Amino acid sequence: MNVESRKKALEFFYKKVVDPLGYKFTPDQELKDFLLEQEVILEQKHGIPFCPCQPIRPRRAQAMTIVCPCIPFHRQHYDAMKRCWCGLFVHKDVTDPTQLQQIPLSEVPHAK
Amino acid sequence: MQNDFRPVLKVAEIAPGGMKAVEVDGHEIVICNCDGQFYALARRCGHMNASLEKGTLDGTILTCAMHCAQFDVTTGEALSGPVPRDAGDEPLPPKLGTYLQNLAALMQSVRTESIRTYPTKVDMDQIWVSMH
Repeated sequence: MNVESRKKALEFFYKKVVDPLGYKFTPDQELKDFLLEQEVILEQKHGIPFCPCQPIRPRRAQAMTIVCPCIPFHRQHYDAMKRCWCGLFVHKDVTDPTQLQQIPLSEVPHAK
Repeated sequence: MQNDFRPVLKVAEIAPGGMKAVEVDGHEIVICNCDGQFYALARRCGHMNASLEKGTLDGTILTCAMHCAQFDVTTGEALSGPVPRDAGDEPLPPKLGTYLQNLAALMQSVRTESIRTYPTKVDMDQIWVSMH
């Protein structure tokens, strides 16, 4: 299966999911292309497009919380960073994603 | 060229986002209505031959109802293979576990192939499909 075609398909589906959540794809095209490609590779291996930046946990219930787009499972954490963990998605008002930092969950106030 | 095309359905018979299976010259095909654009492709899934019209159409991406393999209806290209089922986290009874392991080993060699598409056109209220 063609990686580029699958990347386009994932982009098509993800856009529909993240838009109502207040997120969009990162404006950094190179990063977006790279992360989508990694997800396609993970999907070809596991059958599921997991987040490429988080460990796949053995218990399915936990593993499902990092299926891209995993924003609903980490809402407070990602909202505090204005991006998802890997940076594929950013808040709609973000124009310069380089200003956004990864913040450990333990340092996010009130996040579960 | 005109003679290659066969009338298959009326436009009003498929709502946007819908699919319908027809048989033309012994070939099973699915007609897809992607927001007014019609596409025709072989009816059988490139993974395990399930009937594709029972799946879902989102944009131009068709998802098979059986194992969720996905195809681009404009080209017939296979976009993804089957999605693994949830076997649960609890250990399975030994016999069932062995059976499922054997099944998984057999299934590993099953590839998801791209599927054939057919040219379509709309003339008046009729959808036409060329089998060549």
